[in-house]
Amino acid sequence: MRTLEPKKLLTLITSRDLQRLVLDTARRCGVGGYTIVPASGAGTSGVQTGILDGDSNVVIYIILSEPRLKTLLAEIDALMTAGYRVKALVSDIMILPRKAGSQG
Amino acid sequence: MSSGMLQNLIDPAILFFVFGVLAGAVRSNLEVPPALAKFFSLYLLVSLGLKGGANLAASGLPAAGALALGAALLMAALVPTYGFLILRRRTNPFDAAAIAATYGSVSAVTFIAAQQYLTQQGVAFGGYMTVAMVLMESPAIVMAVLLASYVRRRSAAPGEPAPSAALSMRKVLHEAFTDGAHLLLIGSLVIGFVTGDRGKQIMAPFAVDIFKGILAFFLLEMGLLVARQLRESQVRLERHLLAFALLMPVANAAVALALAAGLGLARGDAVLLAVLSASASYIVVPAIVRYAIPEARPGVYFTMSLACTFPFNILAGIPLYHAASGWLWS
Repeated sequence: MRTLEPKKLLTLITSRDLQRLVLDTARRCGVGGYTIVPASGAGTSGVQTGILDGDSNVVIYIILSEPRLKTLLAEIDALMTAGYRVKALVSDIMILPRKAGSQG
Repeated sequence: MSSGMLQNLIDPAILFFVFGVLAGAVRSNLEVPPALAKFFSLYLLVSLGLKGGANLAASGLPAAGALALGAALLMAALVPTYGFLILRRRTNPFDAAAIAATYGSVSAVTFIAAQQYLTQQGVAFGGYMTVAMVLMESPAIVMAVLLASYVRRRSAAPGEPAPSAALSMRKVLHEAFTDGAHLLLIGSLVIGFVTGDRGKQIMAPFAVDIFKGILAFFLLEMGLLVARQLRESQVRLERHLLAFALLMPVANAAVALALAAGLGLARGDAVLLAVLSASASYIVVPAIVRYAIPEARPGVYFTMSLACTFPFNILAGIPLYHAASGWLWS
């Protein structure tokens, strides 16, 4: 078996309305891959039932290296400072690389 | 209770809305699958656009229709302006701008319910009123973005550059005019206009025959949604915002009816103008305001529009505005 590689998992929770804004920001930071899952829930922005665009959330998962994470987090922080409702969670993960020597 | 209000309440689609609210209130697990609810909302826009376009092709745009469109544009500029000035006194300016945009724009489903109500009452209205609805969707967004920019400049410390939004005005305008729901309505209106009566007949089994049933299903979902927002939302609306959400529609409708009477519009067009002015957006505007005015609290403007103003207009507002028009057009 190939060796597990240490990576960072950035989990972003935001409104579906802001999905494109967040993804454009990630792309500018060199992120090419991500996974999006529709989500519902509740918080200070009200109930997110997942029925209308205005009350639907998404969870965006991005696996990336630490340097790229720092760049992206600075951009996400700028969005949050401007008032955009985004939650960012960072986890340390181990990932089985797609092929030997691949870069994320 | 007036007979108009009673007739409105015993309409099957309205009763499904009430049923949805009750089912949500007793915490029933009844739900319409989200994908279907999304389809229903798109269907209603397609049907509305096709019928409006075909009627416009049949009748053309008479002078009264041009006047109605002018009045719609005027209301689209007036409502967010005085709405902002009223709200600004007791609400933070970004929330005020966002709420003003929400109330300056329109709710397509409220407009559809009003058309159904007028048809039941035998009151005629022009196909151009669908164009009026399209025209009223966007000006409030532009005004709110300008207001928010003004507030940002004012809030900057002396000598400091004003904090800028993360998005340019150009980007916001692009979002406003290319929003999926907005674009679908315009596309359907154009297709209905181009294909005219022949297109209307071809599409009738889809756009007309099943319309009422789909509207009932969508209103059932909206009822469930309203109940859930009221029950589970952590957002507690301040008393003055609640009053705004319930009284502003009546005030906006009164201004619209007075304007329509002054311009000599037909009664049906006047009632639809009043309903458009009284309604608040809960799909297009909240989506764009999240982009354009991130400082505003989405839970406030969305809850006011969806959980307060929408049910008020559907249950009481439409028959009320129609009854008020009876005094002016008698």
